[in-house]
Amino acid sequence: MYNFDWGTFWNYLWPVTALQNPLIRDGLIVTIYVSILAQLAGVILGLFAALGRMSKYSILRGISGAYILFFRGTPLLVQMMLLYYGLGVMHIYDFPDIQLGFFTISGAIQAGLLALSVNEGAYMAEIVRAGIESIDPGQTEAAKSLGMTSGQAMRRIVLPQAVKVIIPPTGNEFNNMMKTTSIMVVISAGELFFGFTQINARIFKPFELFIAASFYYLALTSIWSLIQKRIEQSTEWGYSSKKVNTIQGSGTKKTRTPGVFDRLVRGH
Amino acid sequence: MLTLESKIYKQTDLPVVVKFEKVNKFFGDLHVLKDIDLDILINQVLVIIGPSGSGKSTLLRSINHLEKVDSGHIFVNGRMVGYLEKDGKLIEESEKNIARQRMQIGMVFQRFNLFPHLTAIENIMEAPIRVRKLKKKQAEEEAMQLLVRIGLTDKRDSYPNQLSGGQQQRIAIARALAMKPSLMLFDEPTSALDPEMIGEVLDVMKGLAHETTMIVVSHEMGFARAAADRMIFMDEGVIIEDTTPVALFSNPREERTRLFLSKILH
Repeated sequence: MYNFDWGTFWNYLWPVTALQNPLIRDGLIVTIYVSILAQLAGVILGLFAALGRMSKYSILRGISGAYILFFRGTPLLVQMMLLYYGLGVMHIYDFPDIQLGFFTISGAIQAGLLALSVNEGAYMAEIVRAGIESIDPGQTEAAKSLGMTSGQAMRRIVLPQAVKVIIPPTGNEFNNMMKTTSIMVVISAGELFFGFTQINARIFKPFELFIAASFYYLALTSIWSLIQKRIEQSTEWGYSSKKVNTIQGSGTKKTRTPGVFDRLVRGH
Repeated sequence: MLTLESKIYKQTDLPVVVKFEKVNKFFGDLHVLKDIDLDILINQVLVIIGPSGSGKSTLLRSINHLEKVDSGHIFVNGRMVGYLEKDGKLIEESEKNIARQRMQIGMVFQRFNLFPHLTAIENIMEAPIRVRKLKKKQAEEEAMQLLVRIGLTDKRDSYPNQLSGGQQQRIAIARALAMKPSLMLFDEPTSALDPEMIGEVLDVMKGLAHETTMIVVSHEMGFARAAADRMIFMDEGVIIEDTTPVALFSNPREERTRLFLSKILH
C-alpha cells in the first residue's frame, strides 16, 4: 500500500506555499503567457490560412492547403522537436534567449511558442473556414449588390457574423492549448509541468506532485470556462432584449447595451 | 385611348436604362436564358412573371452581375455590365469596376438579407459610409429620411431579428435606396412574407414607382395592376409576352400565358 504523502501534496497544491517555489511560479507564468500568445497567433495565422484556402488564386490555395495538411497531419511533439533542433542545426534560427526588461524568454520557450502557434494556426484555419462558410451567401450578395468589393463584404459583413460561430470552438481550442503547453517539457522549456518534473527529479514524489500539477491545469481551464461563457453571451445581437419582453410582458422592445463583443468587433 | 402607363411603354425616345442584347446563360446543360433581347426605359415599372425555372430571377440577377452570362451583352445606362469587350472577346471587368457599377443598381431580395449584426439604421448607413464614402453624420441624416419614408423611425435601433418580415423588407428597400440607385431590382420581394405583411411592402414599392426604374420579379398581381406599366411573361428562358398589365390580364396572346395566369390568379 502506497503511503500518500499529504504534506508534500498540500505544500505543492496550496498556491501560497507552492508559488514560493520559482519553478512553479515562473512555470505558471510561462504556461499562461505562452497559451495566450500561441492562441492569438493561431487565430491570426488561421484567419489568413482560411482566407488563403478560399482565395481565387491557386498559389495561395496551394500554400495554405499544404500548411494545414502538414501541421494537422503530423504530431505536435514532432513539430516542436523539429522546429527547435531543426532550425538550430540548419542555422536558420538558433533560438537565443531574449531579454525583455526583467523578463527572459528562453530559446526553448520561443521554440515551444512557435510550434504551438503554427500548429494551432492549422486547426484554427479549419474553424475559421467553417465559420465563414456557415454564413448565408445571401449576405455577400447583399453586400455586393450595394457596391462593396469582396474584401469589404468579407471584413464588414461576413467576418463579424462568422466570429459568432468561431468563438465557441476557439474557446475550446484555448482550453486545449493551456493543457497542451505541457508537452513543451520535451524541449525543457520552463513551463508549469516542467517545473513539477524538476521538483520530482529532486524529491521523487511523482504521484503527489503530478496530482497537484493536474489541479493547476484544472484551475486554469475552469477559470477560462467562466470567461468563455461571458464572451459567448455577449455575442447575441438583439436576442437578449426578447428575454426582457417576456419578463415584463410589455410590447416595447429595448435594445441592449453593447457588450464586450461589440466593442471588440465593431469598435463601439 | 392610351393610359399613362402604356404611353411610357410605347414611347421609344425615352432613354434606355437596361438593354439586353442576345443574352444567353447556361447552368451546366440547362439553357436558362435564350437569346434575350430587352430594352427597359427610364422610370419604367416592369413586372416579370413566369413559372419557377423560367429564368426570371436569373435575368434579374444578371443585370447587376450576380449571375455571369455566357454570351451577349447587358448594358445599364449605356455601359456594359461586368465585362469589357476586347478584340470581339468578352473579358470580365475588375472587381472594383463591377462594384462601382453595382452602386447605381439597387437590389431587394426574397429573403431580405439584412445584416443581422447591425441595427436597422446601421444596415442603411453601412454602404453609404463604406462605398459612397459619406461622413457618418450625413449618412445618418439620409438614413433617417429613408426611415421616415418607410415609416420605421421608431425601429432605427432594432436589430433585424427584432423586426417582422414586412419591417425587415422595408428596411432592405431603404438600404438599397440609400445608395441613390438609378435602377431598382426586386427579386420576389414579398414571397417570403406572411400574407398580412405583403401590403406594407407593396405600398413602399408603389411609392417608388415612376420615381426610379423598377424591375420586379413577382407574382403579386395586385401590385402589377396598380403600379406596373409593362409586364413580361417568361417561360423556359424565353420572353413569351411583353405588353401592358391590362393587355396581359385581359387578353394574353399565348396559351401558356393563359394557363399560367389561371393558376396564379386564384
